[in-house]
Amino acid sequence: MSWQVANIEELRGDRPEAYIRRHFDIAAFGVNAWTPREDGTIIPEHDEMSSGEEEFYLVLSGTATFALGEETVEAPTGTAIHVEPAVTRSATGPAGTTILAVGATRGEAYRPTGWEIGAPALPLFASGDYAGAKEILLGGLAAFPESPMMLYNLACAEARLGEREAALTHVARAAELDARFAGYAQTDEDLESIRDDAAFPAAVPA
Amino acid sequence: MSGWQVARIDEIESLPGPGTLRWTPLRRHFDVRAFGINAYTAQEAGQDVVEEHTEQQLEHEELYVVLAGHATFTLDGEEVDAPAGTAVFLKDPAVRRYAVARAAGTTVLAIGGKRGEPYEPSAWEWYFAADPLIRAGRHEEAIAILEEGLAEKGEQPGIVYSLACAEALAGRREDAIAHARRAIELRPEFAEHVKSDEDLVSIRDEL
Repeated sequence: MSWQVANIEELRGDRPEAYIRRHFDIAAFGVNAWTPREDGTIIPEHDEMSSGEEEFYLVLSGTATFALGEETVEAPTGTAIHVEPAVTRSATGPAGTTILAVGATRGEAYRPTGWEIGAPALPLFASGDYAGAKEILLGGLAAFPESPMMLYNLACAEARLGEREAALTHVARAAELDARFAGYAQTDEDLESIRDDAAFPAAVPA
Repeated sequence: MSGWQVARIDEIESLPGPGTLRWTPLRRHFDVRAFGINAYTAQEAGQDVVEEHTEQQLEHEELYVVLAGHATFTLDGEEVDAPAGTAVFLKDPAVRRYAVARAAGTTVLAIGGKRGEPYEPSAWEWYFAADPLIRAGRHEEAIAILEEGLAEKGEQPGIVYSLACAEALAGRREDAIAHARRAIELRPEFAEHVKSDEDLVSIRDEL
């Protein structure tokens, strides 16, 4: 189609996120809308060093609290925030808060990043379809073999499926690529079955 | 540098855009380099909030998000109702798009870029930024912006033409003549424009 229209809230449905880029098949930039999860997290803590993306956030409704590096910024509706790849960022907020996030990498043609391709796997964990989640993540890793998020989530699916060695390999690689995943791994219930193994990554010292 | 910047959209200086709409130059303000992003506001109902245009020249795909108010988009002649929270995506650069505000203060976010290629800021941003200064008689400031545009974008015809106008009004006759002639070389259609462009009346006999 030459053009398409959607209501962002309707696109979101009963999920916290609206995958706008994927819905419209936008190819020139990434764009999604985020609302709070149960714990109030809207944008999980991360940086964009692996993708090199600069990101633009716009608070569409409500009031978000951003953490940007060491700073905290209150962001009511209409606040725009531009963030360079190296900055660690996160955002929280109450129900009714929506943040639009736009991202791409300077000097490069846009391509979707690993998390977006792997995102459809996450609801399958909740429903217990670990084999389905694994299939999606393997497909995503074919395009982004060094995505720590997808490697980590693959490890979780494999651990749930009893594929111990594969799970250990993938969680170790995720932690090697991004030390934060070593931290997440220490308490992630999905990895309970393999945590006692000597090859399981240790938490990174504070 | 902290690596991040924050601003309220309604606190960023907006500039007059085409017709009656106000342009908030988000990309310029934040120096975003990976995609184009701007906001447009119609102060009154019935005014344009997105000027009628296609993206054939830049070959951009565009996403519009109605941030506030209520707009009616016309896409290749078909009307689309767009209250706040509506996203309109135009994959095809050839679609003629246009939007009118149905409520005062309607604001639309526009995000654009070309599929498969790294983004480059568009030349129009420089002459859109310069034009209000030209209208206000601040010709030297307009010239500075346009020269910055030339340095970044090269001899884009629109920038060169606007520079000729600013220089003519600033009394820089020889520079204005040179740039007007160059603009016509780059885009022959400008030969018609100069015949009626009041900004160039002082040098028209040389073109």
